[in-house]
Formats: sequence, structure tokens, C-alpha cells
Amino acid sequence: MQKTSDTYNQEKNPFTLLELKQGETAVIKRINGGRHMTARMDGYGIREGKRIRLIRTAPFHGPLLVEDLTSGARIMIGRGMAKAVEVSPEKPS
Amino acid sequence: MAGFKVDTGNFAGTTVSFTETKVLIGGRTARLIDLPGTYSISSHDIAEKVARDYLLSGTVDVIINVLDTSLLARSLELTIQLMEMNIPMVIGLNMFDEAQKKGIDIDLKKLKTLTGVEAVPVIAVDGTGVREIFEAAAGIARGEPKQIKPVYDRDVEECISTIAALYPSSLKDGLKMDERFVIIRLLEMDEEFERTVGKMDKGFLEYVIKQRKQLADIHNWPEAGVFASHRHAIVFDLFEQIATVKHRDGMDLRERIDHFIINPAGGFVAILSLLFVMFYASFSLGDLLSGMIERPLDALGQRLTNMTSGLAAVAVSGLYNGMTAGIGIVLPYLIPLLVLLAILEDSGLLPRIAFMVDGILHRFGLHGKSAVPLILGYGCSVPAIMAARGLEYERDRILTMLIIPFIACSARTVVILALAGKYLGAAYTTAIYFGNIAVALCVSFLLSRLQVDMAPGIIMDVPPLRRPYLHLVAKKVWWRLREFLTLAWPVIVISSLALAFITHVGMDKPVNAVLSPITSGILNLPDQTGITLFLGIFRKELTLLMLNQALHTSDVSSVLSHGQILVLVVFTVLYIPCIATISTLWKEGGWKIALYSMLLNTTVALLVAGSLAHIMNIL
Repeated sequence: MQKTSDTYNQEKNPFTLLELKQGETAVIKRINGGRHMTARMDGYGIREGKRIRLIRTAPFHGPLLVEDLTSGARIMIGRGMAKAVEVSPEKPS
Repeated sequence: MAGFKVDTGNFAGTTVSFTETKVLIGGRTARLIDLPGTYSISSHDIAEKVARDYLLSGTVDVIINVLDTSLLARSLELTIQLMEMNIPMVIGLNMFDEAQKKGIDIDLKKLKTLTGVEAVPVIAVDGTGVREIFEAAAGIARGEPKQIKPVYDRDVEECISTIAALYPSSLKDGLKMDERFVIIRLLEMDEEFERTVGKMDKGFLEYVIKQRKQLADIHNWPEAGVFASHRHAIVFDLFEQIATVKHRDGMDLRERIDHFIINPAGGFVAILSLLFVMFYASFSLGDLLSGMIERPLDALGQRLTNMTSGLAAVAVSGLYNGMTAGIGIVLPYLIPLLVLLAILEDSGLLPRIAFMVDGILHRFGLHGKSAVPLILGYGCSVPAIMAARGLEYERDRILTMLIIPFIACSARTVVILALAGKYLGAAYTTAIYFGNIAVALCVSFLLSRLQVDMAPGIIMDVPPLRRPYLHLVAKKVWWRLREFLTLAWPVIVISSLALAFITHVGMDKPVNAVLSPITSGILNLPDQTGITLFLGIFRKELTLLMLNQALHTSDVSSVLSHGQILVLVVFTVLYIPCIATISTLWKEGGWKIALYSMLLNTTVALLVAGSLAHIMNIL
């Protein structure tokens, strides 16, 4: 069996997409999700090494709108999934 | 691509089944199969599976791979996967204009040299490049595939050839697919391929799994991700070589509008005013149109009645009522609504609405992705239920399918507008709409509490806003209108004729008597409404259209009180979905879902309309 997201999340407290501020750019460090979740996000280009920008968070505790800076695609990601996306924010130049 | 028999929306996942069209290319007829839009062939959701199964069915002569050039980096992933299938392919670089606006410049020659695949710039909305791509496709169909298959790491390639050496002939004959493709799918841990191959040759599958583990272990790679990451690298490399991207600074007008729409304050104002304008426009425009048509039609009707007598008069009045009901009552309200829905779909506003309302829908057990089918439900439940296929999870899909029949579709909108709008006024009409949404959300809330599993995460594309093209909107409206004229209208005319005879021989009485416990018992309506509610199961407009006939008046308010009209409208909106909806539910979710939906809708309708009638009685 592979390691799943749960084991990771309990071990430490990673900096995720959820912690990113509006307009900030970050690089995806890791997807702390199971195989299916990882594959699903992969299909939308959300994967390790990608540079992304948080455009906006939807109201009422809604999803996040993220721009994939490689392809220019805009993707909305629910909070549950965003929690699994570990990122390292880039310092504004 | 295939004319406009195909429903388009500005996002992947609208077309969920495939449509077939015959096209004439260079004097030869070809069968063109339009497959659902997808970004991968890993069969995670139904749309992807439908596309993949068809491509692998062995009947495909050539693939026309239409990709979104403005998202080239991502679209190339699927292209690489398709190339591995070893079927002749041409690439249609759709939204080429969009890509140029974004500052993406593509070297077509280099793309051809690197992949061996011919690529044609296409702007589907105005037809640019469509002929060229068909010709290119016809030129290479059934020939040897010319694409240069992607080459992976040396270790990976060695692993593939070791396995290929042992590829059993039973698979070769049984699957009729490219060997290398099958091996790669297995190495990618594709569950469906594992199942199929396991059934045919268990030993071979075990061997592949052993090799797969070994390969992953040597490099300390995750077993599932070996190919994905290699493929990403190949795609990225290809993209870098063929495309140059110039980044622009600042926002153009479109981005400014977009920025406003996804802004919490501006967004809700925008969405609500849009929906308001939408319904207000279809209401007032419909009123205007139907007013214009009404008088000449009435005069004609008068003349016809005077001319005939006896059984012929019954037939003429039945036919006349049915014909005019279609043109005079339904069309004026239907056309504006269809236009507005088409604009909503083509502009890319739907995914933005989904983004804005996801947070709210979550509280009721749904999520943003359900918003798209639910809004489509305002047009017609049938395509809405089919659009629910875009939801990856069974739980969401079933819940959304059960909620859609509660949404007031265009047929029921006609009933609301023509009864509540005409006799009760704008305030009641609005109240009915909001009440309808509230009922749908409450039902969803209750149903989602009955289920054990949680709403899984949402992830979806938000494509750029696009200006809706008039000719595309017109074609779409015409296509749906034609469906009404050829399918629904005849049903209305026949029902009207049937009702005229049924009433003439007094056959409506048994139906009314059977339904009397509901109509007069629970809903406090006259018995004569029984037959109209029964006919409403065939088409929801029929309830309205047959009402005049059943009550023997053209002024419903002379027979029914305002309270009764309200109860009738509410009940019509909520009770049993129409036959087309039921059969779609059956097809999409099985007979249990269809039956469940019928029971659910009827129960809710009786509860809501029943208590409403009770309250009216007390007041």
C-alpha cells in the first residue's frame, strides 16, 4: 500500500494553497493526496513543480481560483483539495 | 465541429455522449464522431471513458484532435497520449485567435517535424480552418500513422521492450490495440486495463506488475507516477520548442469584466441582475409577443367555430386549440428564454457562477459543479440531467439528477409566467421562483443528510470569457426550437385533439374522479383540473394549455380564485417530472432513480402545494 494524505497531514502542518494570499505566486511542492486525488488534479495541470497564482477565493467559504502560470489556464479548486496542495510561496520581486 | 446538432458550451464536459454526423469530404462521405471533450484518457470520469472506449473500439480511421490552443501546454498532454494509441491523427488548433490574443505564437512547421502530425489553425466559431482540417484528415485516414511516438527514459524504454517481447498473442488478437500503448497503460497502473488484461492473461499482468515495481524501485519513483512525470517533461519540452509566449502587462477590458464578476460583491450583483434581466426580459417580451398574436388568432378561431358543427367542430376546436397554444402561448415565452440561456452558456459565465455559488451550495450538500446542470435545468431538464455526467462522483451525480426536476424548466416557466404572471402579478411570480429555489435546496439538504459519504472536492476549468457570437446563439436557439416544433408541438396538438374528444364523450370524468382526492381533497382545486394535471405528465405546458379547455373559459381567474391559481402553479412546477425527463433519468441513472424521482417530486409537490392550499383556506 502507498502512503496516503492522512499520514502526511498528521505528521506535520504543511503550508498549503489555503494559506496563500490573494494574488500571491507559489510553486507546488507536493500533492499530499491519495492516488485518485493526485491523478484528478494532474489532469488539470495541478502537480508538483508547477508555478501557480492564487487569483481569488470565492465567498461563503467557497473554492479557490488558481492560475496555472505555465499554460495560463484558470482552475477552480475546492477547499478540501486545496488543503492537499503543499506550496512554497515566492517572494515578490 | 459537426454542424450544430451538437450542444456546445464554453467548457469541457458539456458534450458527454458522442454524436454522429455524415460529412462530405472531397466527394467521399465520412462518418464524423464527435466525442466528449476531455483532458486525459485515464477514464476517471464518464466523459473520458466514453471518449476512450470509442477511440479504442477499432473502428476509428483517423483522429481529429481539436485542442484549445490558448491552453496549449495542457492540451498537449492528451495529444501525446493519443499519439501512443497509434491511430492516424491530425491536430486542429482551435481558438487560434484566442491564443494569439494571449500572446502565444506557434511554430506549425516545427510541430510537424517534432511530432509527425499535421496541425491546422482553427477558429471554430467563424469556421476558419474547418474545411482544411477535414481535408487533412481525409488525406491520412486508414493509412499508416505518421506520428513520432514519444520516447521515454532509457530504463523505461528497456522495460517496455522487455515486456513487449513476452506480449501474448491472445492479447494481440483479443484487444486489437497497439502493443506499446497497452503496455504503457499497464505501466501507468490504469485500473481498467489491468482488469481487462487480467481477465485475458493473468500471468502476463502479474509479470508486468513485477516489472513495474522493479522499475519504480530502482529509481525510487512512485509506482503510479513514472509515466505521468515523464510525459509532463516531454510535453513541456515540446511546448517550449514550438511555442513562444509573450506576457502582457495590465488587464484588458475582458479581464476587467471577469475581475468584477468573480469579485464577491460585484459578482453577486452581476449574477443576480443578470438572472433578473433574463427572466424579466423573457416575461415582458413573451407578453408582448403573445399579445400581438392573440387577437388575430382569436378572430380566426371564431370564424372556424362558426363554420363547423357537430363532431367536425370538436375536431376543429381541438386542433385549433393545440396549434395556437403552441404558437401563441409557448413560443413567445420560450424564444427569449432560449436566447438568454444560449448567451449564458457561450459566454463562459456558467463556470463563474459555479465558482461564486459553490460555497452556498456546499451547505446544501451540492457543490459548484452542480450549478452548471442546475442552471441548464432552467432551459430543459433533459440536457441538464445529461450534463450531470460531468460530475465525477456518483454521489454528486445522483443528488444533482434528483434536484434538477425541481428546477422550473422553460415549459414550467411558461406555466408560471402565463398563469401567475398574468393573474397574480410580478411579486407572486418572483416569489414562486425564489420559493422554487428554496424547495430545491431544502430537498437537496435533506437528501444529502441521508447519504453517508461527504461531498468530495471540486476541481474544474474556468475558461476565459468570450463574446457570444450572434450566429452561434441563433443556431443553438433554432436547434432547440426545432426540437420543440417537431417533438413537443405535435404532442400538444394531439393531446388537445384527444382532450376535445374525451371531453365530448365525457371520458374526462373518470380521470377527474380518480384524481379528485388529490385535486379537490388536498389541493382544494376543482375536479376538472385533474385531467390537465394528468396531461401535464406528457408535457408540462399541457396543464396550462388544456386548462382553458377543461374549465370552458379563456379567463382562468373567472373560475379559480387567486389562491387556487397559486396552488395550481406551485403543484405543476413541482409534481412528477415530464415523460422525457423520466426516461432520461432512467437512461442515466437506472429505473430506481427514475422511480425515486417521481415519488420524491410528487411527495414534495403534495406537501408544499397542499400546505399552501390549507393556509389559503384558513386565510
